[in-house]
Amino acid sequence: MFFQDAIATLHEFWAGQGCLIGQPYDTEKGAGTKNPHTFLRALGPEPWSVAYVEPCRRPTDGRYGENPNRYQHYYQYQVLIKPSPDNIQEIYLDSLRALGIRPEDHDVRFVEDNWEDASVGAWGVGWEVWLDGMEVTQFTYFQQCGGLDCDPVSIEITYGLERLVMYLQGVSAIADIRWNDRLLYGDVHMQGEIEQCHYNFEASDPEMLFALFGLYEKEALQLIERRLAIPALDFVLKCSHTFNMLDARGVIAVMERTRYIGRIRGMARQVAKLYVERREEMGFPLCRSTAGVLTGV
Amino acid sequence: MPAFLFEVGTEELPASFVASAVRQWRDRVPQSLAEANLSATSVQVFATPRRLALVIEGLPDRQPDRREAVKGPPASAAFKDGQPTKAAEGFARKNGVALSDLELRATDKGEFVFAEVFTAGRSTPDLLQELAPQWVLALEGKRFMRWGDGEFRFPRPIRSLIALWDDQVLPVSLTVRAATETRPAEVLTADRVTTGHRVLHPAPVSIAQATDYVTTLEAASVLVNPDQRQALIIEQTQAAAAQLGGEAEIDPDLLEEVRDLVEFPTAVIGGFDQEFLELPSEVTKTVMVTHQRYFPVHQPGQPDQLLPNFITISNGDPTKAAIIAEGNGRVVRARLSDGQYFYKADIAKPLESYLAKLETVTFQDQLGSMRAKVDRIVSMADRLCHQLQLSADDRDLVNWAALLCKADLVTSMVFEFPELQGIMGEKYARASGEPAAVAVAIGEHYLPKGAGDALPRSQTGRIVALADRLDTLCSLFRIGLLPSGSSDPFALRRAANAVVNIIWDAGWSLNLESLIEPESVDRWAESGMGTQLAEFFVQRFRSLLEDEQGIDYDLALAIVGEPGDRDAALRALYDPADVLQRAQFLQSLRRSGQLANLYATINRASKLATKGDLNFSDLDPAASVKPALFEQPSEQAFYDALVALLPITQATRQTRNYQPLADQLAQAAAVVANFFDGSESVMVMVDDEAVRRNRLNLLGLLRNHARVLGDFGAIVKG
Repeated sequence: MFFQDAIATLHEFWAGQGCLIGQPYDTEKGAGTKNPHTFLRALGPEPWSVAYVEPCRRPTDGRYGENPNRYQHYYQYQVLIKPSPDNIQEIYLDSLRALGIRPEDHDVRFVEDNWEDASVGAWGVGWEVWLDGMEVTQFTYFQQCGGLDCDPVSIEITYGLERLVMYLQGVSAIADIRWNDRLLYGDVHMQGEIEQCHYNFEASDPEMLFALFGLYEKEALQLIERRLAIPALDFVLKCSHTFNMLDARGVIAVMERTRYIGRIRGMARQVAKLYVERREEMGFPLCRSTAGVLTGV
Repeated sequence: MPAFLFEVGTEELPASFVASAVRQWRDRVPQSLAEANLSATSVQVFATPRRLALVIEGLPDRQPDRREAVKGPPASAAFKDGQPTKAAEGFARKNGVALSDLELRATDKGEFVFAEVFTAGRSTPDLLQELAPQWVLALEGKRFMRWGDGEFRFPRPIRSLIALWDDQVLPVSLTVRAATETRPAEVLTADRVTTGHRVLHPAPVSIAQATDYVTTLEAASVLVNPDQRQALIIEQTQAAAAQLGGEAEIDPDLLEEVRDLVEFPTAVIGGFDQEFLELPSEVTKTVMVTHQRYFPVHQPGQPDQLLPNFITISNGDPTKAAIIAEGNGRVVRARLSDGQYFYKADIAKPLESYLAKLETVTFQDQLGSMRAKVDRIVSMADRLCHQLQLSADDRDLVNWAALLCKADLVTSMVFEFPELQGIMGEKYARASGEPAAVAVAIGEHYLPKGAGDALPRSQTGRIVALADRLDTLCSLFRIGLLPSGSSDPFALRRAANAVVNIIWDAGWSLNLESLIEPESVDRWAESGMGTQLAEFFVQRFRSLLEDEQGIDYDLALAIVGEPGDRDAALRALYDPADVLQRAQFLQSLRRSGQLANLYATINRASKLATKGDLNFSDLDPAASVKPALFEQPSEQAFYDALVALLPITQATRQTRNYQPLADQLAQAAAVVANFFDGSESVMVMVDDEAVRRNRLNLLGLLRNHARVLGDFGAIVKG
């Protein structure tokens, strides 16, 4: 199965489960959780089901493409369903079947793994899913997001696409993944992977990054002030990525590190609170319109 | 007799919770049954990742009936002029007995009205229906969660309940969400259906009879008994290792975890390339054990000579072992090639070169970076060297080891595998050509990792280990982050225990007081009670003496002093090694029966002496006792005994050989007994102030001589 086929298969599968097929968000971020499809929609009482691919950037994880399994840029396949369905584990196992992995032929295990992202005040309880000892999926029941209790609780399913497809194709390096019948993952991304590592670790201008962080933070705060939740989230995400870039450059002093994370978390909490307020002011519109879908009509 | 089956079906529970829930139910369910007056011939607890279950056999159909006397109002309030009052009527009505059936009975507090009340035993199924949900709610654990739109909290979602009274379903229920005005309650109600093994038996499983539980599930490829799974895992793992010509390393914690990660264990053998065996075996084992939950296999009798194989306990279909082994092999190869990459990258630079990067690792927010901590460790280590009067060469080694002890924290390997801290430091130090003593000390300075763990053996390792802990303790106490109650987030008790145990093990004479707070002598004086850290250490001495050294609590107290005994506390801090020596000596006196010769008299003298004002440091009777004031020969004999003690006590303080002092004190005790009792005995607390003071000083001096051993006032028996 080609990389692009795995994505198409998952889209088809989750669409069949009633999920909206979303699109990646156009701002750099470290994980699919930060896409508003998840970070904001997990908040409040409105039901929500979505599946999408998210390109992720984690500058400190870069290894100039030399480590076969570790890149600073990769893809997650993200599913979020609220409230979490009772048979979600069985649905998930069916998604593996759709990909051609018969759980009957393997050792599939749900191993305790709790997730937390302190920079956005979010945590949840769940598992890593092991397929013959390989972690292929992260399963999380969201308990808090942006510092707010999640009620109802969402289930987040995050597939590591590269790992999964490496397994399907029997290759041992990300670069060797066959994207389609002509091109490899390395053909598509290797140059970018190497150049971005040079940028992240050596060529970025810390002065500029510090300045940007300040500007983005100021903008986020003034947008919160004006009660514009979604644009404010954009600038919180920009702060978060800028912080990651500064971190990769090794220029954030120890004492400042926690403070920076605290600043981002403070803004993320305000955005979360504001978003729920705005939805409430609108009368939580999705509580009404999707009622029919929820009952299976 | 009937049996009861109760099963809570869940999504995969954390392995640690499965084990803990089994322990909790084994403890509490029999207790809960006893409280409900229900007898049972057996209570069995079963658990897998997907279920917790109880099978209770030999239950009665009903609770036994009970007849008990219920106490009512006092007779005086219940009857006026022989007639029952309102109070008596109310009591009779409440207990459902006739007024004429009330009895008067005498009690310690006078005469009261009693009613013989009959309570019919309730039916056992009714009671179980109430008890079973309470057993679920009473389970404790870390990180409980909510799911769906429920409010119920449990470690993972509960998906089914079974409650069977023999073959009948009992309608046991759990409320997942209480009803609100807009929607009904969400309730999970028991039936007889559960899940089988996820892949080996995907169809639902129906249990016909409570006592069929184990066998019905076994037929659905679920082994519900954890002990059975564990035995099977050991057996299969050993057989697999033998097949490879090696021995499996079965870590007990890993075994317990793996047991509770599977419902149907199958040992599967996997392998990796020989070249990975060039990695330090600690790295390979960490990948296998910690990350992948595999059992490593080594050459028979040679734990460090690994074979390029592993054994994983699969929860899958045994006939698919080849596919499962291949998949696991790929994962471990990827992990090990990561390890190889990190190792090569790390040893490309000398360990020393990582020091600068320690600036980027926080030790604690207010205390700055690890680099700053390293400087503090170096300085503390230097003070230790000074106290121990080490040679210049040895000091250089300590200094260098202290400087490098945390450098591995910023290597790629330790960043990726934090549990290898220290271990990689030692490897990298050797690879960088550092002296062996430095490399060993870097590895040892994290020891002991907990109670009962190995201690550092080398001189340099001990000093760096002490310096690291002492710095942590001093720094965190300085900024007020003290442990309180059960909360000890920085593991400071463990750090202080490590300090004391290392000193005791080395037998070093170290002045802990001067190390923990240079200016503390003044502070002791100021507060009268000493610094918090000093007190903290004194508590540690006491608890380690009792818990790890087998010293009786009163003897431990006699050594470290009663709370507020500044003199004893300071003495303990001035020389922790002497604390252990004296405690062991007192314990040996008690064991040999010698303490009995001293205890009664010296305890009495010590307690009475508190009425006087003699300093603990006074030992010489010539300075504080006036023979001219003696009225009885026993006083002169007491005085003479003290004179005889003086040179022995003084010598003992130098030699720390306590036996001669104990012998001399025994002789003195015999003499002093006549001072207290018998024909020559005297009253101590007489009106004449000078005589009283003179006698109190005699007692005080005896107490002071005895205090060189310990505070006899704290000792409670011979």
